[in-house]
Amino acid sequence: MGVRRKMALRFDLIIFTILLFASPVLSDLILSKVDRRIDLTSQIVENEGSEPVSEVLLAFPDLQVKDLALLKASPHEGKGKVKSLSASLPVENVKPNGMPAALTFYAVKLPKALGKGDSYTFDVLAVFAHALRPFPEKITQADIQLVVFQESAFYLTPYVVKVQSLSVKLPESRIESYTKLENTKIHGSEIKYGPYENLPSFSYSPIVVHFESNQPFAVAQEVVREIEISHWGNVQVTEHYKLVHGGAQNKGEFSRLDYQARPTIRGASAFKYLIAKMPPRVHSVYYRDEIGNISTSNLWGDSKKTELLIEPRYPLFGGWRTAFTIGYGLPLKDFLFELEGNRFLNITFGSPMNELVIDNLIVKVVLPEGSGDISVSAPFPVNQWEETKLSHLDLTGRPVVVLQKTNVVPEHNQFFQVYYKFSKLSMLREPFMLIFGFFSLFVAGIVYMHVDMSISKSSAAYLARLQWDEVQAAIQQVENVINRCLTTHDKLEASLRDLSRTGDVQACKAARKAADGLLKELSKELKLVLSFLQSSSAASQILPKVEELVAKEKDLQEKVMAKHSTVVDCYEKKTGIRDSENRVAAQQQKITALRQEVENLLELIDEI
Amino acid sequence: MAPKPITSPVPDAWYPTLSVFMLAIGLFVTASFFIYEATSSRQNRSLGKELITGAVASVFLGFGSLFLLLASGVYV
Repeated sequence: MGVRRKMALRFDLIIFTILLFASPVLSDLILSKVDRRIDLTSQIVENEGSEPVSEVLLAFPDLQVKDLALLKASPHEGKGKVKSLSASLPVENVKPNGMPAALTFYAVKLPKALGKGDSYTFDVLAVFAHALRPFPEKITQADIQLVVFQESAFYLTPYVVKVQSLSVKLPESRIESYTKLENTKIHGSEIKYGPYENLPSFSYSPIVVHFESNQPFAVAQEVVREIEISHWGNVQVTEHYKLVHGGAQNKGEFSRLDYQARPTIRGASAFKYLIAKMPPRVHSVYYRDEIGNISTSNLWGDSKKTELLIEPRYPLFGGWRTAFTIGYGLPLKDFLFELEGNRFLNITFGSPMNELVIDNLIVKVVLPEGSGDISVSAPFPVNQWEETKLSHLDLTGRPVVVLQKTNVVPEHNQFFQVYYKFSKLSMLREPFMLIFGFFSLFVAGIVYMHVDMSISKSSAAYLARLQWDEVQAAIQQVENVINRCLTTHDKLEASLRDLSRTGDVQACKAARKAADGLLKELSKELKLVLSFLQSSSAASQILPKVEELVAKEKDLQEKVMAKHSTVVDCYEKKTGIRDSENRVAAQQQKITALRQEVENLLELIDEI
Repeated sequence: MAPKPITSPVPDAWYPTLSVFMLAIGLFVTASFFIYEATSSRQNRSLGKELITGAVASVFLGFGSLFLLLASGVYV
């Protein structure tokens, strides 16, 4: 990994206690100590500070406010303590009277009003995007990128400040020039202005810092982030980026040879890759653009996070653009929860990319079809509206909540919630759609088989087919009857075996009687069908075979009966086993042969 | 009351197995449906049997194809 020097200004503003002398009137608030720290090491400018009072007004010049991305106030925890994100104070935009023009005011509400002589310390974090201006605005590939930052050395506030100081932290690179006021010192890459004492309100002393910054000025002009929830177990996130290098524009030619040979000299201001931090257990990550898949990427992760490193198809110099899409899937149980009958999605708002400033971020949350009562809760103001999207197996479309925000910085990557109601039965809608589709195919098949679609109802071919259908039905009946006869024979054989096993002659005789009765009935049925077949002309070809079959079956029947009687006789007369077997042997042979013939004939008839 | 994470009614890991089994059963029943159609004559055919076979086959095929879609990554 090469050296990555971040280029940006980060302002850290620390304001100390303010004493209140009289009733809380604006002009009587005194800021006792203001310490401002501005961090310019990335492309995002951050002001951090602490300020006590009941309701403090923060003033920003209008020109600066249009770059203001995030303004957050939190109680000062003291050195060494970790700032808790939950303890933030409400900040709102106000327009107080009697203030100088071209200033925008934000009021910070303190948890309790301060009485006389009380003090309170809090921190203010202000994040500005696009606050660094590249100067010169156009550079060649070999030039270094210099940016300019303008600020006021004295804190612009409607109150009197007792003590204040300003420290500007720059990336460890060259400082081209900076405004030298009284009490200005440089420590390494940090410029300290102050401390200044007892300055009146609205005091302003502009300073300009001109320095080198090679941090990646990755600016996304538009990011569309689509989050699709499927209750079958997946949250699919698809992000479309339109990226541009927001630093000094590249003029002249681009020499690939120079860039590859000495990238730190020829192309220091370019950036080659971006890193995205994603939640753990992410799967199916893809990185592609309009051309196709981009293979220059790396993914690694552990149980706490997953990191994706992507390299666009070319390094980005000032003013160059690129567009790509990143998609990944997340397990449902990490992000979708149920509380008191409501389901809600808890997911991060911004892009997972590190150090990316987004000019226009659109987040679309696609909820499954059948969701109702949709509401959004976000930790900062966003524009929102609803759409529908037609996706897999949809009838009317899925409800989509669209959230839009301009000037998004990585500090905005916090969790937001989307609440909705969804009944479990609605999940069955999708399989029922598929089942209905398949069933309609089967119904179509049934209808086709049942409906008579012949054009002429009296043509010879049609009538012949009708007759043949009837013959087929008759033959099936014959087959049915003969099969039943064969099963009766089998039953008789079984009774004989039982006899040899248990010696119960009565049972055997009873079985014989039953078989007799059954066979008589079957032969009656057979006669009926046979007479029909004989009368129909279409059956003339198959009739001899059928008659042969019936005859053979009758033969078989007689033989089986004979054998049965012989065996029972033998048993009753208690002749030896060998004798009885001798007598039966011949009959048995004929029976098996006949049986085989009957079955062959059955198969033959079947095939016709 | 802490929020409870929501998961799919059928565990994820079962999707491929379920899809194979349901589709196999569905195809068997479809085959028996078509065999019945082919071998029965016009008079012997029973509409009830056809409809029931078709319904059972379409239920299994429907669920099988749903799990097939889910197992292959199309989370419908």
